[in-house]
Amino acid sequence: MKDIPKKPINQTITKFIISIVLIFLAIWSASGLEISLERLSKAPQLTWTLISALYPIDLSQEALDRIIPKVFESLYIAWTGTVIGAIFSFPIAFISAKNTSVSIKIPKFLTNKNYFIYSSQFMKQILNIVRAFPELLLAFVFLPITGLGALTGTLAIGIHSIGTLGKLSSEVIEGIDEGPLEAIKASGGSKSNELIFGVIPQVMPTIISYWLYRFEINLRASAVLGVIGAGGVGQELINQLRFRAFDRAGTVLVATIILVLSIDTVSGALRRRIIKGKSVTVEQN
Amino acid sequence: MNKLSTKIPKKPYPSPLIYLGAPLVLLFTRFSFNKIGFDWEKFKTNLDNRHIVTDPLFDPKWSWAIENTALPLIETIQIAILASLIGCFVALPISFFASKTTNPSIYTFALNKSFLNLIRTIPDLFWGMLFVAAVSQGPFAGVLALTMFSLAIMGKLLSETIDAIDPGPLEAARATGSSQQQTVFSSALPQVMPNFIAYFLYIFELCIRASVILGLVGAGGVGRIIETQRIFLRFDRISPIIVFILAIVIVIEQVSVYVRRKVL
Amino acid sequence: MIKFENVSVTYPGGVEALKNLNLEIKDGEFLIIVGLSGAGKSTLLRTTNGLVMPTEGEVHVDGQQITKSNKKELKQIRSRIGMIFQTFNLVNRTSVLKNVLTGRLHSVSVIRSTLGIWPQEDKNIAFKSLEQVEILEKAYVRASNLSGGQQQRVGIARALAQQPTVMLADEPVASLDPVTSRVVMKYLKKINEDLGITTIVNLHFLDLAKEFGERLIGLKDGELVYDGKISDVTDKDFQNIYGRDIKSSDFIGDDE
Repeated sequence: MKDIPKKPINQTITKFIISIVLIFLAIWSASGLEISLERLSKAPQLTWTLISALYPIDLSQEALDRIIPKVFESLYIAWTGTVIGAIFSFPIAFISAKNTSVSIKIPKFLTNKNYFIYSSQFMKQILNIVRAFPELLLAFVFLPITGLGALTGTLAIGIHSIGTLGKLSSEVIEGIDEGPLEAIKASGGSKSNELIFGVIPQVMPTIISYWLYRFEINLRASAVLGVIGAGGVGQELINQLRFRAFDRAGTVLVATIILVLSIDTVSGALRRRIIKGKSVTVEQN
Repeated sequence: MNKLSTKIPKKPYPSPLIYLGAPLVLLFTRFSFNKIGFDWEKFKTNLDNRHIVTDPLFDPKWSWAIENTALPLIETIQIAILASLIGCFVALPISFFASKTTNPSIYTFALNKSFLNLIRTIPDLFWGMLFVAAVSQGPFAGVLALTMFSLAIMGKLLSETIDAIDPGPLEAARATGSSQQQTVFSSALPQVMPNFIAYFLYIFELCIRASVILGLVGAGGVGRIIETQRIFLRFDRISPIIVFILAIVIVIEQVSVYVRRKVL
Repeated sequence: MIKFENVSVTYPGGVEALKNLNLEIKDGEFLIIVGLSGAGKSTLLRTTNGLVMPTEGEVHVDGQQITKSNKKELKQIRSRIGMIFQTFNLVNRTSVLKNVLTGRLHSVSVIRSTLGIWPQEDKNIAFKSLEQVEILEKAYVRASNLSGGQQQRVGIARALAQQPTVMLADEPVASLDPVTSRVVMKYLKKINEDLGITTIVNLHFLDLAKEFGERLIGLKDGELVYDGKISDVTDKDFQNIYGRDIKSSDFIGDDE
């Protein structure tokens, strides 16, 4: 009878090592933070106490008058920030994408061959740097300059969005099919013809869906920025919690959840429709 | 050469949604912009104030930072480790319940899926504030908050991955008479393992960043220090901290990329 | 008339795609080029409209020299040369009509074309081109919703909309089934005969070459190894061009 093949030792050892490392990390962290299993087991109970304190939520006119406008403020901040992000990231994406970037030729006498500097090389780095700073940090830095209020939040979200949308959009542009571009070139079209009739139709659906997704994320970010005073509903939540007005805190939470859920649903549906494209048209057969 | 023998087909009208939608979007943008209250004059004068921030920002106090933030930074990392581990592993079973592919029961499916959708709507900082209120300040609140955070993200990512797996092996396993539990373990879990690991690393990175932020509301880690220094406009102390955090994030990103490549 | 004078093309990696090619193509000819992949067929086609520049030698198209033409002149030359591709190269999410209209870009102002306000005359030319390939009824259908054969016909219509004097076809039927391939080849032949457009077709199916060709060019390793009437071609000639025995994959066959 043939020998039953042995399970490769390497695989098992790697899995073993990884598990040991993870367990070690967990124990190290838990002891460092003084979190025992006992404490952990108490957590659900404490959380339940909190949740029951939140409910019933405060639906008084006074509470609603305070909270609802703030909820909408978060919406405005998220929307404006996303619009800023979309508008500026669009041209930046084209400059950052390898296949549509601008280039400068270095004259021949400096180097032996023709050397080109492509805008995509440094634009991408700039975008990476902008992306690295979370919205909260940006808001942090802007706060002393632009003061408390919605403007700071909008700026922070807007600039961060330019970074992420710029990177994502440039990747979409780099991933297109170059065939249609060749066809346009072959028929005598110019570079701008190639861009408008070849690149744009291919990238727009995906890029717009990225804008919508960004809006969903920015909504959550804008809710949070209120905590440091950059506008929106976060401020309300932390205030109510500090004053231990848990029923009102519950109102804030519920209002935020409703807003986020509704926007998520609409935006999600829109995104799916855009990616799918218009349903099969009138002419069939 | 002018007359066509076949009839030109009718040009389809674009759906009225576009005609409604575009101006609505523009109006709403204008409206939101106004509501935010952008005052150009005020903005300009404020811009002159930038030196309050930029001067100290570029004058980092390294030694102070190393002395006072080394431990809190470790605390931040520990919070992220615990939270991502617990959150992701708890998310495993929930994700399988939240996917039609592996959960034939409509009730538990709806329950789990709605649960995941609901907790996704709450931003990480809100979790932080809630748990600080529940279990008082400190890293414990941070761990709990980020556990929910990790749960939410892993839940969504993993359940969507499970939705997309090949149901073939599952059918085959059921055909041999194994229970639902056994089927999931033997046929579904191995299929999503690589994804799980990739998501876990991604979520761990997110947790590190979130852990810093959670400190703002008192949930432990280096965030609290950043907040106190910010109030006193000590950006000269904040900038080295940011650099440390960036360094940590980059290191973890590299490790994560390396591990992901090895696994996938 | 198209004339290749000692044309050589060497790609940056060192690959010699064409070696010292000499060829003359008269107006209105229907020319088929055969050869293995990498023999230089695509390169030859692309030096005709300057998508690839000869490293040595000269290509003359209707009296103009490709290597000596500036950007504007190249665009003019290209606008008179229509090209269709193996992968059709249509813009998938756009309608058939919009795809065909891109063939009119050279004569419409940038602003009008970008905004989509095409002059009626150009629209009429587009409709007429669609009618010539019998696909006018699909004018507003999304390009990706069509079958392969239909898409290639749209490609032909797009080229026709340029009102070209030359038609280049780079493996136009390589991704199509036998029946559809013959339909497409028939259209190419019809256009050549009815409108007198000089047509150059790259093929790798030998039976199609025999069915539709008039003059046959064989390329091997970048060199011209055969030039003659299709009626004179023997199997031995094909073997010579391919440098190996003929295989069944060299024939498209019939659709049984």
